Amino acid sequence: MSASPACAVVTEFFDRYRAHDIDGMTDLFSINADFSYVPFELWGKQRVLRGDGKVGTVGKAIWTGFIASFPNLTNTVHSITGNDDGDVVVEADIAGTQQLAWGFIAPTGQQFSEPHLFVFHVDDGGLIDAVTGYWDNAGISRQLAHNEVD
Amino acid sequence: MLTTLTAGPAATTTAFLDAFAEHDVAAAVALADPQVALVVHPLGVRAGDRAALQTVLTELTTAFPDLLLTVRRVIVTGDVVTALFTIEGTQAAAYAGVVNQEKHVDLSHAWRFVIEDGVITAVSAYWCQQQLYRRLAVKRFDQVAIVGGEQS
Repeated sequence: MSASPACAVVTEFFDRYRAHDIDGMTDLFSINADFSYVPFELWGKQRVLRGDGKVGTVGKAIWTGFIASFPNLTNTVHSITGNDDGDVVVEADIAGTQQLAWGFIAPTGQQFSEPHLFVFHVDDGGLIDAVTGYWDNAGISRQLAHNEVD
Repeated sequence: MLTTLTAGPAATTTAFLDAFAEHDVAAAVALADPQVALVVHPLGVRAGDRAALQTVLTELTTAFPDLLLTVRRVIVTGDVVTALFTIEGTQAAAYAGVVNQEKHVDLSHAWRFVIEDGVITAVSAYWCQQQLYRRLAVKRFDQVAIVGGEQS
């Protein structure tokens, strides 16, 4: 997968994400694509729920819940670069206004906009087979007026 | 040395990471343009320069004197190099407003570098400050200087 087609697939992913087309988003991934949202940690008393797994199970559930909690969720892509190995790196802001609970954060109608960095890999068939996301959850929590770390 | 990448933008980036891993802040910072465009999202740095980069690295290596940096991936996409790495260490001094409780930290980072003519001209650093606070036993974002003692 050369850089240009790989970047086009990832650009299409963010277009569909902006349109809240979750099925369309997941259609861009291979059937067993890996998913890792590194900052995603929910600490319970006896276990930690992490944002690691597969797009079809963990990723789709997170995207669905995120859009439900932030019905005007949107994204702004600032940079997208790729290489001939299928790697694509994206800097994008994710933003929205909270209407439902998200994790431990109760809805207060606050807005957030937070810079994210995503690393994708696009396979030879033109499907995304891995996505990893990085951002600062403290920034999101503060913007949503949630001051408790856990 | 951390990697065997020896040419192009990757070489500059790995030289930076090698120096950072060895706590040689001066050598790391010397690879950056004096007017490097530094953004460190978790620290609220939006328009930093080389001096700010030096401060960021110095504070990390000072607060965590046993800091261990492990590079997971280096991704070259033209003049942009993205480094995915983890840092581990034990707090020995105040950091980012958090008092020292000698807590251990392990934290994933993603740093995006722009390299022009072998010089770092832009850096954008991403990590989750909530994960950092959690590991340092901070309970509230609006009271980071007040920490609990139960978490390890």
